Amino acid sequence: MKQKKDVQQGTLALMVLKTLDVLGPLHGYGIARRIEQISGALLSVNQGTLYPVLLRLEQEGAIASDWGPSENNRRARFYRLTRAGHKLLEAEKHDWEQTAAIIARFFEVKAEDLP
Amino acid sequence: MRILRRSVARLENFVMGRRGDQRLREEMEEHLAMQTEENLRAGMSPAEARRQAVLKFGAVEAVREDYHDEQGLPFFENLLQDLRYALRQMHRSPGFTLLTALILTLGIGVNMAIFSIVYHILLEPLPFPQSNQLYAVWARSDAQGNAQIAASGPDFLDYQDHNRSFSRIAEYIRYFSETWTGDGDPKLLHCTGISEGFFDMLGVGPYLGRFYTAKEYSELRNPTTVVSYRFWKSMLGGDPHVIGRVIHVGGGANTIIGVAPPLPDLFPDTDIFAEVTTRPSWEFMKWRSNKFMRVMGRLKPGVTAAMAEDDLIGILRPAPGEPPDVRVQLVPLKEDLVGSVRTQLQIIVLAVVLVLLVACINVAALLLARSARRSAEMAVRLSLGAGRKRLRQQLLTEGFVLTVVACSPGVFAAWLALQLLPRLPALGLPRLEGIHLNGLALLVTTGIAVLTTLLFGWAPSLMFSGLNLASSLKSGRASTGTRHHRFFSSLIVAEIACSMVLSICAGLLLHSYWRLSRVDSGFEPYHMLTTYLRTIYYGPEGRGFWRDVLEGVGSLPGVRAVAVGDCTPGQNVAIATLVFGDRANDPNHAPPAEGCWASSDFFHVSGTPLIRGRFFNSGDNADSAPVVIIDEQAARRYWPGENPIGKLIGVNYTGPGRVGTSAPRMREIVGVVQGMKFGSPESPTEPAVYMPYLQDETHHDLASMSLFVRSVGDPLALDHAIRIRIHAVRPDQPVDAIRSMQDVVSNSLAPRRYSLSLLTAFAALALLVSAVGIYAIVSYTTLQRNREFGIRIAVGATRSNIAVVVFRQGLKLTLIGISLGVGMALLTTQALAQLLFGISPLDATSFCSSVVLLGLISLAACVVPALRSAYLDPVRTLRSE
Repeated sequence: MKQKKDVQQGTLALMVLKTLDVLGPLHGYGIARRIEQISGALLSVNQGTLYPVLLRLEQEGAIASDWGPSENNRRARFYRLTRAGHKLLEAEKHDWEQTAAIIARFFEVKAEDLP
Repeated sequence: MRILRRSVARLENFVMGRRGDQRLREEMEEHLAMQTEENLRAGMSPAEARRQAVLKFGAVEAVREDYHDEQGLPFFENLLQDLRYALRQMHRSPGFTLLTALILTLGIGVNMAIFSIVYHILLEPLPFPQSNQLYAVWARSDAQGNAQIAASGPDFLDYQDHNRSFSRIAEYIRYFSETWTGDGDPKLLHCTGISEGFFDMLGVGPYLGRFYTAKEYSELRNPTTVVSYRFWKSMLGGDPHVIGRVIHVGGGANTIIGVAPPLPDLFPDTDIFAEVTTRPSWEFMKWRSNKFMRVMGRLKPGVTAAMAEDDLIGILRPAPGEPPDVRVQLVPLKEDLVGSVRTQLQIIVLAVVLVLLVACINVAALLLARSARRSAEMAVRLSLGAGRKRLRQQLLTEGFVLTVVACSPGVFAAWLALQLLPRLPALGLPRLEGIHLNGLALLVTTGIAVLTTLLFGWAPSLMFSGLNLASSLKSGRASTGTRHHRFFSSLIVAEIACSMVLSICAGLLLHSYWRLSRVDSGFEPYHMLTTYLRTIYYGPEGRGFWRDVLEGVGSLPGVRAVAVGDCTPGQNVAIATLVFGDRANDPNHAPPAEGCWASSDFFHVSGTPLIRGRFFNSGDNADSAPVVIIDEQAARRYWPGENPIGKLIGVNYTGPGRVGTSAPRMREIVGVVQGMKFGSPESPTEPAVYMPYLQDETHHDLASMSLFVRSVGDPLALDHAIRIRIHAVRPDQPVDAIRSMQDVVSNSLAPRRYSLSLLTAFAALALLVSAVGIYAIVSYTTLQRNREFGIRIAVGATRSNIAVVVFRQGLKLTLIGISLGVGMALLTTQALAQLLFGISPLDATSFCSSVVLLGLISLAACVVPALRSAYLDPVRTLRSE
């Protein structure tokens, strides 16, 4: 149960980073929308869980935030990727691809392939 | 790196008390507004759009809590909250807090102090390089009672010249005294004589100046002197330019050439380190049988004690006059210093551990009782949704706070005890200087305290797991699970058992002490005083001094009789060997006897009864026929069934400083007196011989003797007058402390007294704590039964009926505890055997009186709860339910 939450949080953090990387500075709602568009299920409910993740990333120094005007001229908190965040994203992306590749290979292997 | 940054940010928020609530609320509001707009655009009604947005966002409270946890340090926030709550709880029940804290303080403080002392004395290595290579060398022989035998001058020279085991070997005279005159009041100095290379053997260098050179060791009368660090610091004011200063010791001028380093373990009260010259040597150092030198050596690397023992046995056994079974024993130097107190200290450590156990059990029981009273509160909190883990954390915190509150004064108390301890007079313990609060003791004791804390937290939480919320809430108070009641009772039983063991041990020691205080030592210590006088006379010219002192002091008003002698009853005596005129003598097995030179009124002053013959009188002087008085032990051993009066014996006196003569003069036995003890009352009464001091043809007794005065009233009231009379005879005569003989006797019992008082104090503490424990459990369980008692009283039970019920409960626990304790004591008191005097380790008196005492105390502890229950107002009790 707890592990699942950790995995989700980890993925969520990676998605946040990638979103900010692609779209530039964005407020919480925008990030949520974007993740929802791409991942579908993950944030269709409980969008609120995004905010503790944003805080954590900010406290880790991967992102920074400032108040700014939103599209309809209201005050919104905008998040942007920091230099550390870029690095983190690269590293995580690399890790992720590696893990994915290993897992993929595992699934491809059949019994008769083994020596 | 990221984790670090995250922690720093969290810590910063925590410390600054920064809370992101406002920001989060705004962000959430904004988020919902945007989502609502989106929904509106999708064609929903405004109300529906808002509702869907909120649904999609999820549980706002949960998000906020996650957010908050992420932002700060939740563990510490809870801890702070718990701490505040714990302090409030303590504030609300100050009596309970004070009691538990006091018990823990005493338990922890006493333990820390005792552990520190014992660690320092028994375990800490001596402060010398490779101190485990240092050994004391003793001889033993079954033919001579298997006691440790020191070495004579020739023994040592043989060891030194022929051994193959020691890198260095040295001899020393542990203690002799000299006068110090010319610098203010004349004083007595404590001297230790050391042979060449002694300090090199220890591996220490001079603190100031230098030690004796080989040339100085080759002169019998050498005008230089090395002073001890202690003497330099306290008597010479720590003067850094002291080298070259001249002090008058023993009547001669001595130039200080060095200050020895502090050696508190080996020589705690030495003032002067004099040289013991071996080649050439004084006459008394040349007697093979004059065995008074201590020998100490440092083994060569790789040589074991057993190898060295064989080596030395091969040297000692062929020496003339040695018994054929003589063997050499190497005792590690530290063991040599502390071996005599090891058992006592170990017993005290065991006792103090029992005290800590009792204290911890008691505090745990008290906390348990309290948490039972709080189970209603806990039930409410549980049913309102508090996690059990969270509650456990809170209880742990409360226990922890209590431990800290108790530990800090405990550490302080221990520290204070260690500061005061070395200043206590006559403690009889070696290595007392330099004792400090031991880190390990601190760690162990606080460790035990922390364990107890865990117990405090753990035991109540056990209870909550079984807590029936519904019934607790309904009854509005503790639900009494029999399981925890039984646990609680067994804690108290264990506590009583431990206290029982302690009080039985204390009882045994008390009984021994009482027996000792009634031992007849052969002299009457009341109205008697003594002081030690060291002169500079070694020849007949000293007779005038002693005669004048006897006359001067004897004519003081309030003085009934006065005498001098070179032994002190209850303290010390020299050992002599006897030669008989009425039988053949074997020079290799000369029978030993305690020997004392005394003036004519010696037995009048000591109050020792005459059994037959006569006392000395003024006619027994240098010119008259030599006489001797023996004690009844000597009479019984050497003339069984015979009248010794008129027999002839010769007395060979051995000891440091005595000049050897040829055959001793034969003396006629003129009297037999009752035996006297020259050690503590527990020492055996040995055969002894007394001779008129004027008939010592070597005149050695004139150099130092003790003055004894029997007074009419309080002997110490004469102190000043006696000093004046002595100084009237010789103005620069040092007069040592004037002590009452009661003080001397009490001093000889000091080592026994400190272990006795410690154990008694521990037992009293344990008894007190157990009384509190019994009181706590009885009040707690009667509180539980208030309703039942109320009904009983309402239907006609008398008050005494109720009181009996309460007493019976307390008594039941006490009896179980006492039986367990007595059983444990029966198994363990054998360990005390060495400390007992005149009673068996299973002494019935001590056992019975301890049992009765504990029984009475526990009955007393039941009185208040019994009365409280007996005087219950049934109407109020039943209504309050």
